[in-house]
Amino acid sequence: MADIIQTMILGMALGGVFALMGSGLSLIFGVMRIVNLAHPALIIAGAYTAYWGFRLAGVDPLIMLPVAAFILAVVGIVIYKLVFEREASSAKYTQMTVLLTFALAMIVEGALGTAFTNTQRVTSPGYATDAFFIGEVFIPKGQLYAGLVSLAIIGGLSLFLKYSNFGYAIRATTQNRDAAELLGVNVNLVAMVSFAIGIGLAGAAGALVSFVFSFFPAKHWEWIAILMSLVVLGGMGSILGTVVAAFLLSIVAAFVGDFFGATWSTMTFFLALFLVLLIRPQGLFGEKPELA
Amino acid sequence: MKIGTLVATAAAVALMSSTALAEIKIGASLPLTGNFSVAGQKHQQGYEHCVALINERGGILGEPVELIVSDNRSDPATAINQYERFINVDGVDAVYGTFSSRLTFPVANILAKYGYVHPVPAGGALRIYTQGHDNIYYFQPNAAEYVGASLAGVLADLVPEDGKPVTAAVISADDFFANGVWSGLMGEKVMDPADGSEVADLAPGYLAENGIEVVFSQRWPEEGFNDWLNLANQVKRSDAELIIGLTASAEEAVQLTRSFKTVRADPKMVYLSQGTQAEYLEGTGASSDGVLVHTSWHKDAPFDSVLAGEPFSNNDFVNTFKARYGSVPDEDSAIPFALCQGIEQAMLGAGNTDNAAMGEWLKARTKEEPVLTILGRFNWDDVGLPADKPFLMTQWNGGELQFVYPTDEFEGVSPMTFPKGGF
Repeated sequence: MADIIQTMILGMALGGVFALMGSGLSLIFGVMRIVNLAHPALIIAGAYTAYWGFRLAGVDPLIMLPVAAFILAVVGIVIYKLVFEREASSAKYTQMTVLLTFALAMIVEGALGTAFTNTQRVTSPGYATDAFFIGEVFIPKGQLYAGLVSLAIIGGLSLFLKYSNFGYAIRATTQNRDAAELLGVNVNLVAMVSFAIGIGLAGAAGALVSFVFSFFPAKHWEWIAILMSLVVLGGMGSILGTVVAAFLLSIVAAFVGDFFGATWSTMTFFLALFLVLLIRPQGLFGEKPELA
Repeated sequence: MKIGTLVATAAAVALMSSTALAEIKIGASLPLTGNFSVAGQKHQQGYEHCVALINERGGILGEPVELIVSDNRSDPATAINQYERFINVDGVDAVYGTFSSRLTFPVANILAKYGYVHPVPAGGALRIYTQGHDNIYYFQPNAAEYVGASLAGVLADLVPEDGKPVTAAVISADDFFANGVWSGLMGEKVMDPADGSEVADLAPGYLAENGIEVVFSQRWPEEGFNDWLNLANQVKRSDAELIIGLTASAEEAVQLTRSFKTVRADPKMVYLSQGTQAEYLEGTGASSDGVLVHTSWHKDAPFDSVLAGEPFSNNDFVNTFKARYGSVPDEDSAIPFALCQGIEQAMLGAGNTDNAAMGEWLKARTKEEPVLTILGRFNWDDVGLPADKPFLMTQWNGGELQFVYPTDEFEGVSPMTFPKGGF
């Protein structure tokens, strides 16, 4: 029984980190219909921000989190203005963003490699490799803290989206961009701020990732498929769906790894992506696509 | 007429100057981006540093060397195309090998087809050397399948009889190199992927030979694996006294070691197949104490080495490398440097850059007349693997990577810490 509880805890611990990593991706798709393949590369940029804060000044990555989020949010505004704003009216906008963000991912990877070399890094605050032991079961402190912070940020974002005026505007734009514009919402501003928030979430996730996983510029290619599987299972654009999917898939993957071997635990994410697209393309919380 | 003469003169001058500036061209396709980029960039530094030092000393055979490095993005097809381009478009005189067994395996066919000497810095899978090519020369001590011999030697010679581990957990990256080490440890047959024929039968394997029972074994996928804590916890639950982690990169070694610390694993002995790099120490800190890692190079190994016909010690290598790059090199830079030394000696030995002549000279090397590099002496057997050359076994202690085995090769061997205890 202890083994089952332990596996469940380890799955949840991983899920908490993935939840924040996927949330920004989901928000950006929900509001702007951008499939942001550069999202994991920007997460790594956030991880470097936390890493250098820790290494040069001894600042805890959790303290560096808002700094990383702010810096990446500013980067997000710049990227939006340079890359996406002029393409917003294109008929094939979503398809184009796949290519644009693919190129962006490679540019970010190259820039990070040039700036920081390709040496792998990880931050090592004391809690990153410590755990709470309760009888035969342990809870890893690093993942626990990362998961709690992740849920707090997502909770705050949800409250912002639900109760603030700007949140109303974002949700309105998510549901129907044209209708929102007709009602006086400045959809371009909403898109830019949403993109900045989404990339800011990547920065925050990066700060958490910096002590949970080791990373280097090219690491993002390993994460994009996993994050996409979370977003698709949760329902493209649904932050709640992404969070639920992150926990669900991480727990299932942990049990799969335990029973069938580590090779199959990673396969869980890809198998889920495949099955969801086949059986329920709108995901758990997404809207069913309208028939033409 | 005047314009025509001017153009012709300019072209002739340009041709002459380019000829004078780059007499010997060498091509190297490396994974500077993608999954192997960490090691790939260090290999680039090793090659470039060596070529720079050679040029500072007057070049090879009096001619300067131009090194062309291309990024293959860790992709085998791109690596193949780049070597084709080096040979058919750039007209290189020689090539340096790429990084990893995965990229080296397909590249070997291309270089064999064109008859180029194929010096391999990192491509330890035995299958690479049993394809029947006679142009290949490995610049590490031995094939991956035989890496376990060093661990077996440590168990036999350094571990007290009454404390020897009797159970082992073997976990491995599902990677060309790591799978080779796994085969040797577990005593598996090595098959040729092309025709399914048997390359070698490694039974019973180094662990069984040493009376060690494998109580847990598992592979993790080469890419996208994140569930390190779960894997470490399964190893801990197996109560194995010896943990063998066949990591394919320093990054995996960091993840594993940190996870073992988190779950509070407490084995007698830990061996990893990667983890000599500075970033391993940075990522693991004191948890690295007692961890054994095999290596091809160590900065304190007093090998007799030659560069540009002059003695060149490991100390010289470390100092010049630090001066150029501002960091201490590890084996991922030392191995390509040694390879570059070997090719320089082959050109000098052959008296030209003809690949057939260079190959003949390399084949004629013996234990008494070897190639001399910062990795020690090299001469090769019929398939291109170094003859009678053991890996160094190192151990992290107090933030220092000390070499602990073999004990009779040279001075300066440190006593091994045993048992390891917790992380």
